[in-house]
Amino acid sequence: MKKLLAIYKTCVKTALNRAAAYRLNFILSFLITLGSNILFPLVTILIYNSGASFPEWDFYEVLLIQAVFTLSHGLAGIVFNEVLWKTMLHIREGSFEIVLLKPLTPLFFLISTSFEPEFAGLLIGGGVMFGIAAAHTGIASALAIGQFLLLFAAGFAVMAGINMMMAATSFKWVGNSRIPEIFESVKNFGKYPAAVFPQIIRGLAAFIIPVSMIGFFPAGALLGRLDLTAFIAILPCFLFMLIGIWLYNHMIRLYEGVGG
Amino acid sequence: MPIIEVNNLTKTYTTYKRGSGAKDSVKSFFRRERVVVNAVDNISFTVEEGSICGILGPNGAGKSTTIKMLCGALFPTSGGITALHMRPYADRKRYVGEIGAVFGQRSQLIWDIPPIDSFNMNRAIYGISQADYKSRLDELAELFELTEIMHKPTRVLSLGERMKCEFIMAMLHKPKIVFLDEPTIGLDVIAKAKIREFIQKMNAQGTTFILTTHDLEDVKQLAGHVIIINHGVKVFDDTLQKLQLNLGEKKIIELTLEREMDFDASALGARLAGRKSPLELTLEVDMSQTVISDFIEQLSKKTGFSDISVKELPMEEIITRIYSETVS
Repeated sequence: MKKLLAIYKTCVKTALNRAAAYRLNFILSFLITLGSNILFPLVTILIYNSGASFPEWDFYEVLLIQAVFTLSHGLAGIVFNEVLWKTMLHIREGSFEIVLLKPLTPLFFLISTSFEPEFAGLLIGGGVMFGIAAAHTGIASALAIGQFLLLFAAGFAVMAGINMMMAATSFKWVGNSRIPEIFESVKNFGKYPAAVFPQIIRGLAAFIIPVSMIGFFPAGALLGRLDLTAFIAILPCFLFMLIGIWLYNHMIRLYEGVGG
Repeated sequence: MPIIEVNNLTKTYTTYKRGSGAKDSVKSFFRRERVVVNAVDNISFTVEEGSICGILGPNGAGKSTTIKMLCGALFPTSGGITALHMRPYADRKRYVGEIGAVFGQRSQLIWDIPPIDSFNMNRAIYGISQADYKSRLDELAELFELTEIMHKPTRVLSLGERMKCEFIMAMLHKPKIVFLDEPTIGLDVIAKAKIREFIQKMNAQGTTFILTTHDLEDVKQLAGHVIIINHGVKVFDDTLQKLQLNLGEKKIIELTLEREMDFDASALGARLAGRKSPLELTLEVDMSQTVISDFIEQLSKKTGFSDISVKELPMEEIITRIYSETVS
């Protein structure tokens, strides 16, 4: 474990050196992600300013869900978002053997070398939104913070699991760059109060592809508006991650390289 | 003692035939014809510890696929490999810690930052102590005269400089076996010479090398053991000396005649291999039938010549004939 942490630390330093090599690109990417995420709740503002609303949810409560969603997205972006794109690129170009030559599990090597500081913009944007929303809604209790952290971790596990599953499919279907777009659309169900969706969608988003855990459930914990469903949904979230890891490691067997 | 044993190794790929043109493209969208490719077909060989083994073969012969299986990066379809008492594909994590690899067409260096950062990352990955890392890096950098260069971003380095850095990257953890897939591809003669010198020095320290190459000079200068693969099948597996004698003990005589004349090479027990001009002939002489002094004496009696040179049969010629024989 100590050795793995040392490797991760060195790889993070290398990623920061890489980002520093193109400072302007790094600053622009940082500002663009920050700006686009500050603009993202504009739709919610427009809905509430026009007199419409999400039933039983006020503006700052919805903003809190979206802030948690953004935080989760930002953290996933920094830690493992690039695993999917790196896997796809390595497979298409036939350079995955460079990964397999390292005396590490390929997934750990890819996660270590995929640290992406540009997503810090998303994390900061989410943090600002979170601060504004929480200042208005308040936090239910100290227990609520504990529940929030547990559910937030479960949401992170969902994102990791789906990322790995999508990356794993690249070993069979080379160049499947549209699959991540499908998940991006599905993920949006976690951005809004579940009450606005039909019962079947709520069930799917809680247990089948548990995207509610990315934003809605952890924010609900902070607001003290959770029912048992959220806690039952923790199990499929971690199952998702375990299946993602297993599938990725299994699919590596299918790697064939490209012509020399 | 063999450090690598390969038994009946086979790798089969399934690919799809797609044709060309709009009609074929539309057809292939609904129904694709499966094509099974035998990239490596039932190959067996051994590599001795401390040797340099060259794997030769034309493009698409299966050399790179073989070397990737030996590295543990590809799973064989059937057959087995034992290297360093491990099965590379099954014990990959432990095995790759004991080997190094340089792929001439795939870089392990990080493009945007100096090689020293990539080396440092490998130090952490292979768990090399700071003291060992420093002494090993100093030793390797001195051998390649790279001390200054490794602090510049990889993207500004020349191909030769990058390749030297790739070697350092592969050698930092003192691997027992190093796999080289076309390590001198695209390099100038000076860079090639430096890399060959480096391989010889590391080999003298006990490292086993397995290299695939199209550059026969690499093989002539480095490899004691040569394996030739064509269409996935092993067609030669012996020493470099045996390879040179593969087509018989032959010599090439380049001859410049004094005057234009009809020349019957077969009367001298030779073969007319080429005629650059009416006066310039190339003969191939089978040395198992004669000795060179007798041949020249006979030649002098038959014709006058103003110049003569005696050479070994070029390696290119030997390899080309082996390739074409296996195709036919």
